[in-house]
Amino acid sequence: MMKTTSPIIQTQGLTKVYGANGTAVHALRGIDLSVAKGEFVALIGPSGSGKSTLMAILGCLDLPTEGTYTLDGHQVQGLSGGELARIRNEKVGFVFQSYNLLPKASIARNVELPMLYAGVGRKERRERALILLEKVGIADKADKLPGTLSGGQKQRVAVARALANDPALLLADEPTGALDSRTGAEVLDLFRELHSQGNTLLLVTHDPSIAAQAERKIEIKDGLVATAEGAA
Amino acid sequence: MRTSGAFRERLFGAWVEIRENLGRSVLQALGVLLGVASVLGGFSISDSQRKRADEMFVKMGGLDKLNVQPKAAVRDGQPTALQQANLGLRDADAIGGEALKADAIQGVSRQKFARSRVVSAYGDQDRQISGIGGDFIPANGYAVARGRAFSASEMDTGAPVVILGTEAAQTFFPKGDAIGQTLRIGSVPVTVIGTFGERVFRFRENQRNQFWWRNRIIAVPANLVQRRMNGDAYRRIDRITFRIPDMAVMGSFAKQLSSLVKANHRLQEDFRLDDVAARIRRRESQGDVYDIIFMLSGVLALVGGGIVNVNIQMAGLKERVREVGVKMAIGASGREIFKGFMTEALLLTALGSLAGLVLGVGFSWIITKSIGIPLYMTPASFLWAYVLAAISGFLFALYPAWKASRLSPMEALRYE
Repeated sequence: MMKTTSPIIQTQGLTKVYGANGTAVHALRGIDLSVAKGEFVALIGPSGSGKSTLMAILGCLDLPTEGTYTLDGHQVQGLSGGELARIRNEKVGFVFQSYNLLPKASIARNVELPMLYAGVGRKERRERALILLEKVGIADKADKLPGTLSGGQKQRVAVARALANDPALLLADEPTGALDSRTGAEVLDLFRELHSQGNTLLLVTHDPSIAAQAERKIEIKDGLVATAEGAA
Repeated sequence: MRTSGAFRERLFGAWVEIRENLGRSVLQALGVLLGVASVLGGFSISDSQRKRADEMFVKMGGLDKLNVQPKAAVRDGQPTALQQANLGLRDADAIGGEALKADAIQGVSRQKFARSRVVSAYGDQDRQISGIGGDFIPANGYAVARGRAFSASEMDTGAPVVILGTEAAQTFFPKGDAIGQTLRIGSVPVTVIGTFGERVFRFRENQRNQFWWRNRIIAVPANLVQRRMNGDAYRRIDRITFRIPDMAVMGSFAKQLSSLVKANHRLQEDFRLDDVAARIRRRESQGDVYDIIFMLSGVLALVGGGIVNVNIQMAGLKERVREVGVKMAIGASGREIFKGFMTEALLLTALGSLAGLVLGVGFSWIITKSIGIPLYMTPASFLWAYVLAAISGFLFALYPAWKASRLSPMEALRYE
């Protein structure tokens, strides 16, 4: 299928250096990659390969030392902390290995939070949160606290929260890492479903069998793109 | 603008945070609470004392008085060198003074004292005799309780009549009615025509009556003392009191009076002016020192509490780094995080202050009760206590909130 729209992710020569001159660690050494709208891409690599660093930059949690990064048409490099926060809020939905739900807020409130930061009104927030929870299949838990849910359910809440502001990119960092294989498979099913609905997904994992679920694999090794199969 | 009830949400979030970390929150609020209580308590105790002192001066017959007295008051009839030189306080000073600001002066009273043997059928004592003239009785807070006051002609002629304070009446006429009886002052027989009401004032409830000596008064017309007891050819008097309700006039009047009396006394300053209100202002400015001390101790309590709060908040922040990271990941800006922490700290300050105000009222009540004066609190004290707490709460919340807002989202998310 030909992609006619501009890519969601477009990077050129991304590098990331930690530390000062003498003890500098080059986590990324020049990453060029492109992800088109509606793609389901797996970012794979062993620990220490630089994939976490790449994920942080692609998720606008961190800025590259050099290189350019365009997310859904927005230049990311050189943005201020506040502007980055806004981009994360509007363009990126995160799903983490350890769920990262706020334990003191109800399920619905967890899902509402990104919308609150985006300035969505109270009533609309609540309505949309319930729709999203319905979508991931746990609408009945809306007023419970995260602590009362199972791991699989927590990850569903996390997915609902990630979708809250209808992001351009869904970024999942080892989303099944803390789940048993059956619930892990269920969460992956959910991702496939989201993909089929047109969402752009980037799945970060070290597990080749999980990466195999994606349309395309990008392997990171020593801070460089090693192989990119299933080209866009 | 990102509004959408965000403030309400932050407030709710802050409340949840406070409720979930009750122990920590209570500790944090405690510093504010004690500070507010001590500021409010200090101010209220100081205000109560001052109010009580004002009440005392009102009971003494008002603050609006200017006294003129001879510098070396001689009350035993022995003239001083200045008096021998035909000086000293005289009627002319009173009349001249009255003419200066006739409209502003509401009353002039003259006093001439004598010390004399006082004898009745029941008592025989050496006593001070107050020769009074003008409106001495109301100006000094006395009131005739039984019988009558001096008539104008009795004042004028120095008629042998006397009005007794309650103690004097009790001493000299313990049995039966004093009125109509005769008392001998020195060699002068005088008739009792009235008695004053009892004067009572206790600064603290359990103290003795500070006005007890006012009940000892033996009042006769000033002219009686002047003419038949220890007077002299120059009709010198011992005190002139001008009553000027308009405090604004008092200062300029005192200056003019001073130069007039000085001129009358051949440029000798053998007299002194005693402005009651000025005396009270001086006393109040001493009271201000206590206010400052009280405020300072309250502020120190607030500062101490604030520093403890910063520590508690910094320790609390360690537990919440990940939470901050998550919030940042889903789109909270540093400013949003800052506002969240500030809201939490300010809500705690507000709650702590409210509790502190309640404690402060209780604290003031107990102290004023234990020293036996009525509790008097002004809105200004509440305001001060609250404002100081708010300022310190705000300032001490800044650092932890700023620290939280400056966390890198990446590192915060990885923080274990």
